[in-house]
Amino acid sequence: MSGRLKGLAAVLFAAVVLYAMQHTTPFYSEIISQVPVSGRLGERVDARDFALVAGRVNLARALETESYGSTKTYTTSGVWILVEAVAEAKRESMALTSAEWIGPSGVRYGLSQRLSNVPGMVQTANFEPGLAMPFLMAFEVPENELSGGTLLVSRSLLMPLAEQVRMPVPDLPADRIRSTIAIGPAGGELPWTLEAK
Amino acid sequence: MPELQAGERRRYWLSLAALVVVLPAAVLAHTWGSLTQWWANNGRDPINVERGAAQRYAGAEWRMTGLSVLPIGSTGRSVVLAEFEARIEDPAVLMESPCVVALTDAGGRRWQPRFTVHRIVREQRPEAAEKPNCGGLTPEQVQAGATVKMAETFVVPADVDGLALSLIKPNALPGNLVLR
Amino acid sequence: MSVTPRSTLRQRLFAFLAAGIGGTLAAAMSFAMTVYEAANPNVIPNVEAGSPIDTGRWIVTIREARAGDVPPTGVKPYEPKKFVMVEFDADNRSAATAFVSPRLFTFDPPMENLREPTFYLVRDKWIASAINPDMPERLVVAWEWPEEQPLPQTVRLKVGSEIYKRRDNLYGHSSWFDRDPIAIVELPVTAAESEAEQ
Repeated sequence: MSGRLKGLAAVLFAAVVLYAMQHTTPFYSEIISQVPVSGRLGERVDARDFALVAGRVNLARALETESYGSTKTYTTSGVWILVEAVAEAKRESMALTSAEWIGPSGVRYGLSQRLSNVPGMVQTANFEPGLAMPFLMAFEVPENELSGGTLLVSRSLLMPLAEQVRMPVPDLPADRIRSTIAIGPAGGELPWTLEAK
Repeated sequence: MPELQAGERRRYWLSLAALVVVLPAAVLAHTWGSLTQWWANNGRDPINVERGAAQRYAGAEWRMTGLSVLPIGSTGRSVVLAEFEARIEDPAVLMESPCVVALTDAGGRRWQPRFTVHRIVREQRPEAAEKPNCGGLTPEQVQAGATVKMAETFVVPADVDGLALSLIKPNALPGNLVLR
Repeated sequence: MSVTPRSTLRQRLFAFLAAGIGGTLAAAMSFAMTVYEAANPNVIPNVEAGSPIDTGRWIVTIREARAGDVPPTGVKPYEPKKFVMVEFDADNRSAATAFVSPRLFTFDPPMENLREPTFYLVRDKWIASAINPDMPERLVVAWEWPEEQPLPQTVRLKVGSEIYKRRDNLYGHSSWFDRDPIAIVELPVTAAESEAEQ
């Protein structure tokens, strides 16, 4: 009798342990997720492979670029976020291929590829060890995902356990949204000029 | 209840012991390919070559002929012009795999070459600006016994030291030519 | 590891029976389900053009279909080509920016030797990149039509669906996976006037 009870207890115990294990197993995406490095807007953040300073955050209803003498306007149903930043590689020449805007709701907005071949965009930038390189990042988000967002930048999402810089972006009030920002060619220190219209 | 017989008991322990040996062996056998691949890519075996000395590597005899640092005005940056040559022994082996070059410094940082020749190189070293890249050799240039002159340009901070040119032909890995 | 021989026999017999009955039952059920599914094929509902279709990851509203020799960029290719184009609205309902799957629309019946279509963003008159969540966009999907085939008068499009799995069966990844088509949309193909080259 006591043997049977013991057996039952053992089975129950095993079931509880298995249930607990099943529900605490981390997701694969969590196991290989990137290591966060937190930073603040306007301050230098050091990851292992690169250092980054994200500066001004510009907002606009439309972006304008010029190529081969003709003006191209990029409209959006939301708001353009145009982040001006500087980064340098630390160990080897590299690119920054992943940047995301996480809205206050937790929804992830990827780097806009619509302007990816505009000079100065992060997609065209090569970062060399010891050489600070200014670049732009463009995101398209709905207006309600602006304030309380977080900017994420990393070398590549395909590199498991690589470092990802995360910086919360302070409030972005709607009155900062310009109707159009024109991205022009190099002016002075920076490889671009931004002109609000 | 009768106990298990001695033979059976011994077999049980033997099986358990075998598991300890066989399991890691199976894992090793399975990952052997990836392990060797990883070693070939990462466990590089640097072959240091002093300036002017020749070294046989991937079907040619390589020699560094010049490593010039050309400051770009007062920007705190310099263009590094690496000039080297190869006396070709086996054109097939040389052309078999691409040429991976990088500039390294004393701290182990690695710079990739520039695709375009910098203006300063054109102004100060026009003859070097005409030299092909290591990856841009044509089959006509690569003849047995011929010597091809090549150049690569890099942009680096002005305050670097201990520069060397790292040259890798994947078919010659784990050997990694380091020309000083 | 000590058991009496008699109970071994009885236990073995019981285990054999249990396994046999379970196995047979599973096989029979699987067979019955296959037969049932073959007898009652899943009818994909017909949906009017212009009404939204919930495909799981996307809410898709098909607008119109047209055919012509000018791709959605408005620039006629150097070598003359024929295109069948379908204009639609795509609303990304997932939590991250995503590309529209090239398998979202398929022809019914399936078309032979048709290459994967290209998606264009109407806003840019250019190849669409990933679509942001909660920001519906008007897109055009364009198939390069084989030279030897006549352009169709009507198209029947199967709209595919996707399902989100928090933990997939193989790796435990969280991801979206293709699932059975969810709707069929039949619509006339209008001949697009080639306004670009004049």
